Amino acid sequence: MTISILIVMFIGLAGGLAVGTGYVAFLTVLGVIPRLTQLSKTMKMIHWYEWAVVMGALTGVLVSLEDVILFLKSYFLIPIGLATGIFYGMVAAALTEVLNVLPILAKRVGVDGKITILLMALVLGKILGSLFHWIYFVKL
Amino acid sequence: MWEVNVLEKTIYIRMRHRVIVHQDILVKFQDIAQVIADEEIYQKIIAIPIHKITKQDNNIIIIDVMKVIKLINTLYPDADIQIIGPTQTIIEVVSKKRGVSIPLFILIWLLLFFGAAMAIMNFHEDVSMKAVHQHIYTIITGTYNPHPLIFQIPYSIGLGLGMVLFFNHIFKKRINEEPSPLEVEMFNYQQNLDHYVIMNENKESMLKIDDH
Repeated sequence: MTISILIVMFIGLAGGLAVGTGYVAFLTVLGVIPRLTQLSKTMKMIHWYEWAVVMGALTGVLVSLEDVILFLKSYFLIPIGLATGIFYGMVAAALTEVLNVLPILAKRVGVDGKITILLMALVLGKILGSLFHWIYFVKL
Repeated sequence: MWEVNVLEKTIYIRMRHRVIVHQDILVKFQDIAQVIADEEIYQKIIAIPIHKITKQDNNIIIIDVMKVIKLINTLYPDADIQIIGPTQTIIEVVSKKRGVSIPLFILIWLLLFFGAAMAIMNFHEDVSMKAVHQHIYTIITGTYNPHPLIFQIPYSIGLGLGMVLFFNHIFKKRINEEPSPLEVEMFNYQQNLDHYVIMNENKESMLKIDDH
């Protein structure tokens, strides 16, 4: 009995370690945090940002594995929704950049100067696609 | 002219990295390089014709510094030629101001727009985003809402905002002076292309020796 509990604990730890390191590696490759520090000029605070990611991940684990209920007003969802959206948007943008989609496309079509407009297509597509999904598509 | 050959003359040459020219132009030395030399020599060598662009040329021509040195050597055999910087110039021939075709541009724009929209919907379905949003709504308020739009609409706007933030563009207007990752990426891509053509279009840079 004790042995099996120890084995399960060990496997749990190992699984968590693999997922956690993978998550951090993914964020590092995408370079979202350096980008934010670069925009805000807060390079010195980077350790706090690391902890923010770790604490956020642990909070996510807590609320998804346990039934935490806070009984707050629904307005609290607006900033949380905005923050999660911005984070996903940055990750999506970083992925697009890693895959080198836009430079190649702009070069092929010969619109090097108008790349911002192509970017707008992606951004508006993301916003409207998401709104369409939540307001209309899921109710079908 | 005899003293010209006696004096030690140094000619400094720095090849330009990339030159964009139009069809049917005679490319002179001054077009493809920066030169520092004695005034008399300078005037003479900057006018050296290097290459006449013809219809037969591809749209990329590589001028190696070796060719340039050879030409200068025929004029000034004793000159001490110092090369600084890149050792070749990429000449890009553009034919008559290629404009952007508007219909094609609109097509690409719509392609990206609908592609992005479709991709985000697929992503939401793929990672059970709906269930997660409903769960978050329940965590905060304690009640169940099948369509927690109060969370989802800010989320959707934030999605676009995050992308804009990452690329450092608020639709043309910049947040700060640094180049955006996209511009850096464009630059890297161009550099890689240049490196490729330098190695592949330049016949002298690769040599196959057949010994049978």
